[in-house]
Amino acid sequence: MNEVSIFAASVVNPADLAATHLVRRLGQRFGRLDLQSQLALLAVESLELDFSGWARDRIGICLATGTGSLSTDVSFWQGWNGVGGPSPTLFAYTLPSAAIGEIAIHYKLTGPNLCFVGDDQIVLPEAFDLIRRGEADGCVCIFSEVVSVELAKIIPATPAASAWAIFLKRGDGLHKLREFDRDMKALCTLIFQIKSAV
Amino acid sequence: MREPVVAIAGCGAVSAVGCGLESLLNALRSHLLGLGPSEKFSSPRFQSNLVGAAPRDQDDEDPAWLLAREALQQAVGAAKTIKIPPQKIGLILSTTKANIEALERVSAGRPCSKAALRHLQSNLLAEDLAKEFGIRGPVQAVSVACVSGLVALSQGVKLIRRGAADAVFVVGVDCLSEFVVAGFTALKAIDPAGCRPFDAARSGLSPGEAGAAIMLVRDDLTSPTGITLRGYGGSNDANHLTGPSRDGSGLARAIRLALDSAKLSPEEIDFVHAHGTGTSYNDTMESLALKTIFGEACPPVSGAKGMLGHTLGAAGVIETIICTLAMKEKFLPGTLGLTNPAEGAPKSLVRRPRAADRLKNVLKLNTGFGGMNGALILSHE
Repeated sequence: MNEVSIFAASVVNPADLAATHLVRRLGQRFGRLDLQSQLALLAVESLELDFSGWARDRIGICLATGTGSLSTDVSFWQGWNGVGGPSPTLFAYTLPSAAIGEIAIHYKLTGPNLCFVGDDQIVLPEAFDLIRRGEADGCVCIFSEVVSVELAKIIPATPAASAWAIFLKRGDGLHKLREFDRDMKALCTLIFQIKSAV
Repeated sequence: MREPVVAIAGCGAVSAVGCGLESLLNALRSHLLGLGPSEKFSSPRFQSNLVGAAPRDQDDEDPAWLLAREALQQAVGAAKTIKIPPQKIGLILSTTKANIEALERVSAGRPCSKAALRHLQSNLLAEDLAKEFGIRGPVQAVSVACVSGLVALSQGVKLIRRGAADAVFVVGVDCLSEFVVAGFTALKAIDPAGCRPFDAARSGLSPGEAGAAIMLVRDDLTSPTGITLRGYGGSNDANHLTGPSRDGSGLARAIRLALDSAKLSPEEIDFVHAHGTGTSYNDTMESLALKTIFGEACPPVSGAKGMLGHTLGAAGVIETIICTLAMKEKFLPGTLGLTNPAEGAPKSLVRRPRAADRLKNVLKLNTGFGGMNGALILSHE
């Protein structure tokens, strides 16, 4: 029971934004979010978690983003020089951690937050540590990679848009987390594929 | 097994009041205003041209690198530790926009070097800083809005406590940019008269910039400075993306968690260094949170954003440095911009700097977009 396990995993990409049953559950506000927040929130919704029995202040959120909020930064900056000026709504999404705010608001999760810019290797060890140290009983883990076509013209990166999500807590779940389990994307994809096949 | 105590071994800072800790200490003691008009933001498209600019070439293409490197250099020079292998030294960068200047330059077709463009990505900026200083331990780029600095310090403590590092440099940096000032202008969040934390007439923040660095170390590896990071608490309001909770309950919960982890009661806190952005909702929320925790017996409270401006990802780091200076020098910094405290603001607000008899335990607060709250407790043995 003291082991920390993965209890759910998901992967989403922009094609999944057409999954109307999930998107409808996310409410009208969903359409106003930037792509990174939409994908991150949809990935968490795809975990099909039921938080009703949980103390919401005991659930953490740990996010890493491959390129921070740079795709949204480019859109915001284009708006500054465009007709009508910059969008105050979009400015709120020029923070890499904006998706955490959206997830916290939607699920009323008031626990601790961590947000890193970089690869997916950091998420599971840091989320595991939050639980191990007793700062949270469970942790929603997300890795998102959004590189718009416009951003790919500026930095050496290929256009991409995907989000991976995992829910960690103590107990026997789908996969017991081990010290060397750092490759969140691979682990997440594998579990999601097995689950989908079953 | 007893977890290691994590101490502060050295600091460095560059901000609107100058380069180096001496400049910062002098400004705090003499209540020196760092905000001033900037030609760069004098266009009517910006809400105000009053900003907290650091002493640097405002046309530099890679200001995040310049400010972060300078602060880190100072912290390295100030640290008195026994020799620690480079693979046991980590670096955590706290920033919200890294070198956003590069995006402005590329978009305008202006020259931008490969290095400046690389530093648009905060993780690459962190990697390059670590490489420049021969740091070969864990490197992280933390970005949790305006709570980034406190989260980064808490991460530094965790890396040391779990044995991943013996020492960690926490570097906070964010730079004045048209991008950021345009964003706060779009939100109508800038006070044209300059940031006035907790003042009845406050109407917003003042943009600022800084580089700040703190070396954290296992306390048995340093000559005692006496200041340790004793507790941390983090929470989310889960309420609104750009506005804080109206009742301060989220920040109050973060403070309680910090007190619990430090094993302290509210009565043992001698000074609170507030987030104090000068925005209407934030200061009201922060006042309510302080009242929830301390009741009518709130310890002295002050804020630095009327002096330095809001330095975003650097705020938590440079404001923690301000706390350490206050603790070492036994004085309470003032709150520049505060003239007439708002209704409901703490009665213990410190307007002008003054001597303090006792500063054993200090509470540092920050909050940020996305509902994030952070509370850090420093102790002076």
